[in-house]
Amino acid sequence: MTTQQPVTIVMIEDDEGHARLIEKNIRRAGISNTIRHFTDGASGLDFVLNAGDGPAAGGPALMLLDLNLPDMNGVEILARIKAEPRLKRMPIVVLTTTDDKVEVERCYDLGCNVYITKPVEYESFAQAIRQLGLFLSVIQVPTADAGGAR
Amino acid sequence: MLRLPTLPLPTVARDLSGRAFGQLMLAAVVLGFLTLALAAGTAVWAVSQNQRYARQVNHTYEAAKAISELRTLTENAETARRSILLTGQQRFIDVYAEVSGQIPAQLAKIARTTADNPRQAEAVERLGRLNRLQVSLFEDALALVRAGRRETAAKEFGFNSSPEVMTAHRRVTGAMMAEEGRRLALRGHERDRTGRLVYQAFAAAGLVLLLVGSGSIWVIRRHTQDLATSRDRLAALNEGLEGAVRDRTADLTRANDEIQRFAYIVSHDLRSPLVNVMGFTSELETAAGALKTLVDRAEVNAPHILTAEAREAVDSDLPEAIGFIRTSTQKMDRLINAILRLSREGRRVLAPEPLDMAAVMESVAASLKHRSDHAGVEIVIERPMPSLNNDRVAIEQVFSNLVENAVKYAKPGKSGRVVVRGREDFGRVIFEVQDDGRGIDSKDHERIFELFRRSGAQDQPGEGIGLAHVRALVYRLGGVITCESALDRGALFRVSLPPYVIADPGGSP
Repeated sequence: MTTQQPVTIVMIEDDEGHARLIEKNIRRAGISNTIRHFTDGASGLDFVLNAGDGPAAGGPALMLLDLNLPDMNGVEILARIKAEPRLKRMPIVVLTTTDDKVEVERCYDLGCNVYITKPVEYESFAQAIRQLGLFLSVIQVPTADAGGAR
Repeated sequence: MLRLPTLPLPTVARDLSGRAFGQLMLAAVVLGFLTLALAAGTAVWAVSQNQRYARQVNHTYEAAKAISELRTLTENAETARRSILLTGQQRFIDVYAEVSGQIPAQLAKIARTTADNPRQAEAVERLGRLNRLQVSLFEDALALVRAGRRETAAKEFGFNSSPEVMTAHRRVTGAMMAEEGRRLALRGHERDRTGRLVYQAFAAAGLVLLLVGSGSIWVIRRHTQDLATSRDRLAALNEGLEGAVRDRTADLTRANDEIQRFAYIVSHDLRSPLVNVMGFTSELETAAGALKTLVDRAEVNAPHILTAEAREAVDSDLPEAIGFIRTSTQKMDRLINAILRLSREGRRVLAPEPLDMAAVMESVAASLKHRSDHAGVEIVIERPMPSLNNDRVAIEQVFSNLVENAVKYAKPGKSGRVVVRGREDFGRVIFEVQDDGRGIDSKDHERIFELFRRSGAQDQPGEGIGLAHVRALVYRLGGVITCESALDRGALFRVSLPPYVIADPGGSP
C-alpha cells in the first residue's frame, strides 16, 4: 500500500464460514490490512456511512460485498453507496454465489468495480480470493474525502 | 395438469330436439301436399262431373225438342187429314204424305235420344204403335177420296178421324215431356249436390292447409327461438370458459413463476453452505496433513507417545472421511447446478422464428458426430421435414438431448442406427427419434422423464437431467413427449409440437 493511511477492507458477508475462508485466503496472499466484517447489510451500511473510523470520516476503504444478505439485497447497498458523493469512488468488489447474467449486468450498471462469482470448488475459490488479495495489494484506492482520484 | 372446469353443457332445444323437429316438419309438408293433391283431385272430378251434367242436360233438351217436334208433325198430319176429308184436294194429300213420311224418322230420333231411359223407350214404342194405327185407319179413307167418294170417306171416317188415338198420342208425348222435365230437375239437383260437395271439400282442404301452415309456423318459430336461446347460452358459456381458461392460465403461470423462483433461490442458498463445506474440508485436509507430518515425526523420534488410534486416524480415517465429504459435496454441487440450469432455462424468453428443421437436425447430428462415430452409430435424417416456427435454442436442446441419448444408449459393441423423422398430423408437427439400442423397460417410461431418475444399467455418466429438461422444454413449447420402447428393442421418442409457438414473456428474473 502506497497511501499514507492504510486501506480498510469492509466485508459485508452474512455467511461466517465464507467470511472466514475469504479472510484466510486474503491473509495468505500477504494482505495485512484491517478487515471489518459485517454479517448484515444494515450494520455494514451504517459503518460505511456514519462510523468515525470508517470511510465516512475520510479513511480510504474497499468493500467486499455479498449480494444475498438476510436483511437486504446487496444490490441495494451498492446503489446507496454509489449514490453517496463522499463514497462513490470507493472500490466495491461484489463477491457472491450468483452468476446470473442479469444480476452481473445490474451490478456493473450501478457502478460496481469488480464482480466475482464464488467458485464452489474450494481450490478455485481459494485461488480466486488469493488473486483478489494480490490485486488488492496493487490497486490504488482514493481517499473518501472528495479529493483527487488516485 | 390443467383441467377444464366442468360446466353444465347446454341442452340444445331441450323441448324440441332437432330430430323431432325434422320429423314434424316433414310430416307437415307431406300432409300439406296430400291436402293440396286431394283438393286438386276434387277440382278435376268436379269439372268432369259438370261437363257430364252439361252433356246430359243438353241431351235432355234435345230429347224434349224432338218430342215437341213429333207433336207438331202429328198435329200437322191430323190437320192435313181433316183438310183432305173436307176438301179432297190433292194439295192436302201431298202435305199429308210429306208430314206422315217424316214421323217414323222423328220417332227414331226420339228413340235414339232417350235410349238411356227405359220408360221413354216404352213410350216411344207406344207412340210408334199409335202412329201406325192412325196411318192404317186413314188408308181406307184415303183410298175412298182417291176414288172420288170423299163424302163417304168423311162420313165413315168422320172429321174427328181418330180422336182417341190423338188423345192417347198427346197423353204419351205429354208424359214424355214431363219425364224429361223430371230428369232435368233431377240432374240439376244432383249438380247442386256435387257443387256443394266440392265446396265442402275445398273448405276442408283450406282448413287443413291453414292448420298445417300455422302449425308449421308455430313449430318453426319455437324451434328458432330454442336455437337462439341455445346459441345465447352457448355464447355465454363460451365466454365463461374463456374466462376460466384465462384465470387458470394466469394461476398456472403464477405457480410456474413461483416454482422457478423457488428453484432459483433454493439452488443459490444451497450453494452457499456448500462453499463452506468444501472450503473447510480443504482446510481440514491441510490440517490433517500437518497432523500426519507430526505423527510421522513422532514415530521416528518418540514412538512411545504414538497410539494405534492416532496412527489410524491420520492414515485412514481422516483421508477417508474427507474423501467422502468431497465426493458427496461434488455430487450435490452438480445436482444443484442442474436445478439452476433448469430454472434458468425456464426463465429464458422464447424467441420463435421459422426453422428449417432438416438443417436443425443436421446441426444436431454434426455436433454429436464425434460421439456417434466413436460409438459406431449412424444418424439418419429422413427428408422432407415439416417446417416449424419455434425457439431455435429450445428445439436444438430438445433434439440434441434425444439424439445424444440415442447414441449414448446404443447396444455396446454393436453398430447402431438412429433415425430422425418428422411429419404433420392433424395440425400438430410430430418428430420421432428412433434408435435400435438397448431400450427402456416399460415400467420406467414415466420415470425417465423425472429429474435425477435414470433407468437400466448405470454404465454411462449422467445425472438423470437430460430427459427431465427435455420434457420441461417440450411442455413449455406447448408440446407433448412420449416414449415407446422395450428392453433390447430400441427406443422411440415422439415429440408432438404445435406448428408455431406464441412468444411468451418468460419468467420474471
